[in-house]
Amino acid sequence: MKFQANRDVFSEAVSFAVKLLPQRTTLPILSGVLIEASGDGLTLSSFDYEVSSQTQITADVEEPGRVLVSGRLLSDIANRLPNAPVRFYTEDHHIIVTAGSAKFTLLNMPVEEYPSLPVVNEQSGLLKAEDFSTAIAQVAVAASRDDVTPVITGVQLEISNNSLSLVATDRYRVAVRTIEWDSGTSSIDTATALVPAKTLQEIGKTFGNSGTISVAITNTDERELIAFKADRKTVTSLLIKGNFPPVKRLFPETVDNYAVINTADLIEATRRVSLVLEREAALRFTFTIDGVTLEAIGSEQAQASESIDALLTGTDTVVSLKPQFLLDGLGAVHSEYVRISFTKTDNPNKPGPVLITSQSSKDQAGSDDYKYLLQPNLLLR
Amino acid sequence: MSVAQHRLEGMAEGAKRAAGWASKPVRQAASAARPRVFGGGEDDGSATMLHIDMDAFFASVELLEHPELVGKAVIIGHAGGRGVVTSATYEARRFGVHSAMPVARALQLCPHAVVLPGHMEKYKRFSGEVMRIFRSVTPLVEPLSIDEAFLDVAGAKRLLGLPSTIGALVRAQVEAETGLTCSVGAASTKFIAKMASGRAKPDGMLVIPAAETLAFLHPLPISALWGVGASTAESLSRLGIKTVGELAATPLDTLIRRVGEASGAKLHALASGLDPRSVVTERVEKSIGHEITFEFDVADEQKIRLELLRLSDQVAVRLRRAGLAGKTVALKLRFTDFSTITRSRTLAEPTDLAQTISDASRELFAALGPVDQRVRLIGVRVENLVTAGDTVHQPSLWDDESAPPSGWRDAEATADLIAAKFGRTLLKRASLVQPGPRDRPAATPQPPTP
Repeated sequence: MKFQANRDVFSEAVSFAVKLLPQRTTLPILSGVLIEASGDGLTLSSFDYEVSSQTQITADVEEPGRVLVSGRLLSDIANRLPNAPVRFYTEDHHIIVTAGSAKFTLLNMPVEEYPSLPVVNEQSGLLKAEDFSTAIAQVAVAASRDDVTPVITGVQLEISNNSLSLVATDRYRVAVRTIEWDSGTSSIDTATALVPAKTLQEIGKTFGNSGTISVAITNTDERELIAFKADRKTVTSLLIKGNFPPVKRLFPETVDNYAVINTADLIEATRRVSLVLEREAALRFTFTIDGVTLEAIGSEQAQASESIDALLTGTDTVVSLKPQFLLDGLGAVHSEYVRISFTKTDNPNKPGPVLITSQSSKDQAGSDDYKYLLQPNLLLR
Repeated sequence: MSVAQHRLEGMAEGAKRAAGWASKPVRQAASAARPRVFGGGEDDGSATMLHIDMDAFFASVELLEHPELVGKAVIIGHAGGRGVVTSATYEARRFGVHSAMPVARALQLCPHAVVLPGHMEKYKRFSGEVMRIFRSVTPLVEPLSIDEAFLDVAGAKRLLGLPSTIGALVRAQVEAETGLTCSVGAASTKFIAKMASGRAKPDGMLVIPAAETLAFLHPLPISALWGVGASTAESLSRLGIKTVGELAATPLDTLIRRVGEASGAKLHALASGLDPRSVVTERVEKSIGHEITFEFDVADEQKIRLELLRLSDQVAVRLRRAGLAGKTVALKLRFTDFSTITRSRTLAEPTDLAQTISDASRELFAALGPVDQRVRLIGVRVENLVTAGDTVHQPSLWDDESAPPSGWRDAEATADLIAAKFGRTLLKRASLVQPGPRDRPAATPQPPTP
């Protein structure tokens, strides 16, 4: 095999191909990136039986061929190559990569043993890349990071009619965002897919500026997978098995008791006051007609408090929230003001959840339908 | 009776009144013996760290009920199968029998020894009694295990007299109240005190005044030092270092090059008689675990799952008793070929519930897939401990199946109450009730990792 490629194009393609590879793979060959050279250019792929990435780039192919080379190593090398065309060829049992005066000799991994990537030809629908990318960032923050309950380490994608909603939860909060879904030529108008949150976050970053993303949800050989395609790049991921908890029903229909606050002010104040908090401890928020007062209490060594403006509708309310959980929601509303709504509950051992939604001005609710529901702690005094 | 002995007895009587002890008759023999002071001088009051070690503890406790065996070679251990020696009388030790040796091997060395089964509950009761006596002398008691402890008597000196007086007092009191003997090492630091008690055994006391520390320490072989195992000893002896004195005389750089920075510095300090550790009355536990070695290796998964539940129960009881909860559950398995694996899982929230610990350990076991070897040992450990009330409980938005229904908390709390009144054997999980006689040895509690 022998080809020559543009340095930046090659480097970007390798980075993309290895990005979703896990840090440690179960089989050594799965840590490789597969490079296939043919008449019309290169195909770079990686696959660890869960997630696959594949991209095509143009290159001057002198001699077609197929090699497997350590993914992370090639990616590190490609990022550091001098700005000159990349020449890539096999020599005996080695792979030679040169650019300018730099030359690398790499091990040729046993390509015959490399598994074949899932092939997805169908299309379920189309998404606007920018919306999808934003929605992932807003929702995935609420996904669980511990592996106790695998179903909630994923983001649930629910397609119905012409909308796609993304839902994630870690039991303590739930985030939901709905965006447009164009079912295009496919007949699919309802479907669900539970995608690992970590993978989806990478997909959001990768395809953020890609215009339109083509999505396919398929079920072959009992393996359900989802594929995303744009810009000659494809990512597939196995779906998480199991039923996502029906958390959408936790959201209240209407809430009469709420406060509207400047988002940046609340973020700043929350960060400041929580400096004195012990890990895992909660902040106390007292909402009155005069504004909201944040108090860090419970640690004997230090205390802090701060009051900021808030426009309260309804009755005075006190809630105890974990600062990080609140900040995750505030960082995701993407609006100048934020509405914090207080739901009622009959359970004396569990305060009613707090709902965070966007607010485009003091008086005007936000136009997007992002919702972040957060379970407060018990008030200790 | 010499003047010194008069004074000693007088102090003891005064101390007993001060500490409010019951006036049981104190056997004269042990307490009246003049303390051995290293170097031949007097106790100058500088050796305020006491290490007290019960003499052949388990064996001595058993002999209380078998007076006919006093003075004979007696081994405590499980006679059949894989039993190991947990304790032996000095008469048996003379033949080379020691703890942790297979009983079968011990009987080869000492064929006429009598083997008695152990009774952990009884030892715990006696241990509690003995520790109570220690604590009546000073609150600064650091139990090292069931039968030994460090006592810092620097503050008790004013009230109770010289360290040797206090040592004699404790020895007399232990013997009067329990019928057991113990040995006392008194020194200015912990590790010298521990070495001294070892040299006072059995039924003796050795005082090493601060000024005599190096004279006592330096002629000893380096293997006597804490932290010097066979390989370190070998490595040092190649430098020509055989005694503690030679170790102390070796430049620190040389030592560090040989055994590494941390242990080099530590060994040098110990060899120079320096040991800054003070008595820690409450150790902070980092993990709590139980494990069991099967009498016969087990292939039956159902039996292993049952054992996991039983071990989880024991761990949970200890967690709750200590007011702790843990976030990580670890499973340990040792197979027939002695290969050992551990697997752990971190939970969403710290737990002290047997049900949760058992579920996690069973899932870890299931995740191993088919096991093609028999299992020799199995253990459950909870790590990442936090003080149970300390964590702010973050309620979840909904209850799911990963959290045990709150009924389990009530059930286990009720079981604790019943156990506090009637003991742990009365109430058991239905799945752990065995038909017929017990066919497995009791699980041994693992010492908390420091």
